[in-house]
Amino acid sequence: MKIQILNETFTLHPSGAVFWEDQNILIISDVHLGKVSHFRKHGIAIPQNAVAENFKRLTDVIEHFCPEKVIFLGDLFHSAKNTEWNLFENWVTKCKSQLILVAGNHDIIDEKHYHQIGISVLQVIEIGNFLFTHHPTEKENLFNFSGHIHPGITLRGLGMQSLKLRCFFHKSNQMILPAFGEFTGKFILRPETDHIVYAIAGNEVVLINRKET
Amino acid sequence: MNREELFTIANNWFKSQGWKPFPFQTQTWTAFLQGKNGLLNAPTGSGKTYALWLPIILNYIKENPNYKTKHNTGLKAIWITPLRSLSVEIKQAAERVLNDLDIPMTVGIRTGDTSSAERAKQKGKMPDLLITTPESLQLLLASKGYANTFKNCSSIVIDEWHELLGTKRGVQIELALSRLKTIAKNLRIWGISATIGNLQQAQEVLLGVDSEAFNNSVLIKAVIHKKIKVVSIIPEKMDTYPWRGHMGLHLIDEAAKIIKSSKTTLIFTNVRSACEIWYQRLLEKYPEFAGEMAMHHGSIDRETRLWVENAIRNEELKVVVCTSSLDLGVDFAPVESIIQVGGPKGVARFMQRAGRSGHQPGKESVIYFLATHAIELIEASALKKAVENSVIEDRVPYLNSWDVLVQYLNTLAVSDGFYPNEIYKEIQGTFSYQTITSENWNWILNFITQGSQSLHAYDEFKKVEIDENGCYKINSRMIAMHHRMQIGTIVGDAVMNVKFLSGGYIGTIEEWFISKLKPGDTFIFAGKKLELFKIRNMQVLVKKASPKKESKIASWMGGRLALSSQMSELLRKELYRANTDNLSPELKALHPLFQRQRKESIVPSSDEFLIETFKTREGYHAIFYPFEGRFVHEALASLLAFRISLLQSITFSLAYNDYGFELLSDQEIDIEAVLDNNLFSTEYVHHDLQKSLNSTEMARRKFRDIAVISGLVFTGFPGKMVKTKHLQSGSQLLFEVFRDFEPDNLLLHQAYRETFEHQLEEGRLILALERIANQSIIWKQCVKPTPFSFPIITDRLREKLSSETLAERIQKMTASYLK
Repeated sequence: MKIQILNETFTLHPSGAVFWEDQNILIISDVHLGKVSHFRKHGIAIPQNAVAENFKRLTDVIEHFCPEKVIFLGDLFHSAKNTEWNLFENWVTKCKSQLILVAGNHDIIDEKHYHQIGISVLQVIEIGNFLFTHHPTEKENLFNFSGHIHPGITLRGLGMQSLKLRCFFHKSNQMILPAFGEFTGKFILRPETDHIVYAIAGNEVVLINRKET
Repeated sequence: MNREELFTIANNWFKSQGWKPFPFQTQTWTAFLQGKNGLLNAPTGSGKTYALWLPIILNYIKENPNYKTKHNTGLKAIWITPLRSLSVEIKQAAERVLNDLDIPMTVGIRTGDTSSAERAKQKGKMPDLLITTPESLQLLLASKGYANTFKNCSSIVIDEWHELLGTKRGVQIELALSRLKTIAKNLRIWGISATIGNLQQAQEVLLGVDSEAFNNSVLIKAVIHKKIKVVSIIPEKMDTYPWRGHMGLHLIDEAAKIIKSSKTTLIFTNVRSACEIWYQRLLEKYPEFAGEMAMHHGSIDRETRLWVENAIRNEELKVVVCTSSLDLGVDFAPVESIIQVGGPKGVARFMQRAGRSGHQPGKESVIYFLATHAIELIEASALKKAVENSVIEDRVPYLNSWDVLVQYLNTLAVSDGFYPNEIYKEIQGTFSYQTITSENWNWILNFITQGSQSLHAYDEFKKVEIDENGCYKINSRMIAMHHRMQIGTIVGDAVMNVKFLSGGYIGTIEEWFISKLKPGDTFIFAGKKLELFKIRNMQVLVKKASPKKESKIASWMGGRLALSSQMSELLRKELYRANTDNLSPELKALHPLFQRQRKESIVPSSDEFLIETFKTREGYHAIFYPFEGRFVHEALASLLAFRISLLQSITFSLAYNDYGFELLSDQEIDIEAVLDNNLFSTEYVHHDLQKSLNSTEMARRKFRDIAVISGLVFTGFPGKMVKTKHLQSGSQLLFEVFRDFEPDNLLLHQAYRETFEHQLEEGRLILALERIANQSIIWKQCVKPTPFSFPIITDRLREKLSSETLAERIQKMTASYLK
């Protein structure tokens, strides 16, 4: 789904990524790599195949848009360095785009390891009227892209139906991205009148109908 | 000393108490002293405790003739109780005999409440007689050198075995016994059970299929006939009786009358939140009861509960509002009346509660049944029939609970490690794992050692390690600690301790309830109005709230009980009587309701199957009335919804109670098509159920417990939240990961199997379908909801089933926006 923010065109992708066409930048948040391995290291037997899935989805979305740059909005790695780092290194060498990490609260791996594989690490990024952070941030005259929250939305319908879905959460000067990673939860948000919610429904991104209460 | 001399000791002791042993007691003594194992079927309050304590002590005298001068230390007997609150009573009973007979044996308790200092002391020197719970027994197996602790143990008694039998704690006991049989060569195993339908099977589960222990065992039944009188509380005016509602508070004045006319009354509610509400309302409406009333449920602080129990015994209380927490255990002689609020759903439970009153010999037990909504009165008259005919349910044991096995193997690996060949033989002898295959076994071993079925490069999985001798051990101290903390969490939601800011522990509350509150909100818990101050380190800190503030009542998820098949059959028979002249007082009282029902629809007879359809602002309702109990309805609803969803693209939300089930949709449901296509067919039932999305939803819920028990979900420990936060995950998420990436996982399969065997009860479902096939279907298109439908359509706890695409559904749905 394509939307306009401050006269710029952005594509909301069902993977949870956002593509900024004019700048050729792909934005991805909360991948939480290493989470499965972290659990396994502590004796909790989560299926290993889930590890490969994260990398496959990353590759797919990047091949789809072929961006010049990819900005990760934090929580790229869930924990300290573990064996998944090696897989990540491998993946990075094959990736043709430039990779940039905006550090999140889970990103406790030393910056120098990222630098060694050619990833720059920043606290915030400002491009034009846009501000990229991990935590949702308000800054005058800037539109903020962030993650951290893993937003989700509850939908209700006739016949006592309800659904909970991952979503892009669009406030007047903010866009909170859903978590990209497999094996991450979601946090249900309650939107206000001036918010716009785009939910991820399988392979589609859908604008959510509103009901005022 | 020969048996006669030993019996003289026992008989004299009974005489000194002014008692005479019952035949079942002497039979048990004899069998025990003959070295037999067994199951004793005796109700609470019958003297079952002395039936087994005495021979344990006599046996010690027999083997140690110089017992008065020379005492051999070390563990000799274990007494397992499912509720730790009962352990004090059991200890007192044992000590009474030991003191009177001047025997230098010691009695100790080891439960979750035992201090670590006490536990350490026990580890150095075990008491002669140990009273403990299934979880604490597992923990003993998780300590180094456990074999030495148990090697001279000559008897183990599993009290209230019927309570454990149909649960995973029962499987824990089976596994522990399989180990103890090997390490304690002279072990006698005894169970004590109240009456259940499958006593013989209970004996087999306890002792092991075809085992040496089983072949050398007896079943002893205490024949004690007790008169039980069931009285329904029927108000003079029936028009005020609500069609639904689960509290029964409209009858509070009738209940108060009973309380006032009896010495002590116990009011049983089915859930803890109802218990809190009844207590609160009674106090508000009858302030004169203050000081003479108390509350008792499983989440209240143990000290308080013990105080309540003692106060009942000392006749200090007029009324106690309680839940199943007072079902078991000791006698409360002063209790004169029992009030059961809401349907007890099972005959055994109802009889057990009735038996809590009128303990003096020859006295009959009186139980008042307080129906919370009108139709429940039918249940009351069905219960009367059940009591008359002594219809008792079975407790169905769990089979192949891989989660419990994984936990058990980790337990052994934490202590001294284990050798698979030895343990495999032992578990094959248990009832639960009698059909385990070597493939299953290898899968489990791979799961605990590699965390998967094949070795991957780059993997750091670490749990159980195999040493050079082939011994399976957990070496990591942290993993061992995590595991010890997890044993014991076999059921239940995450609970948090509730404490006063000023100190003072009040009880435990489920996390999901607290998570809905903000600091400053007030809630009622343990009969107190409390204000939430803050949540810190898994503790809920509260202060006393001002009495005027509006408050929520604490609630707990707790499983909803479903009617047993025996009860549902009685219920159907009772209902079908409504169309005859042979009416019980309850059916007579229901006359106004039946009249309303007949105005819109019908009251079905035994050869009729009723379907009602109508439209409300919530959508299109279709209600079906098989009267088969909640579980069968859950399965039937899923099955039917799935079959309809093949005919048209449609989304349903499903609701059910013990009388029927509802399919609710935003579009009209084509009942003609249901009838024309024979959707109640018994063909392909299993296949269709599996395909229906709903079974996945149910399996997902079953998986929650499985994930906790098998150690996949780490529940964390109090005070150490931060460090373990990175290891916490929801079982929901886990379920999806397993489903997507490891569909052959045995634990995942178990979730589905438990859904079909314990939840959907496929066997009962097919019988129900066969019965429906022989009934004529009556379809009533109603203008508005009928009295029968009302309790179902107002149920908010619903399942979903859909054959529409996600996008189609979203188009018709909305999110609510705050202004």
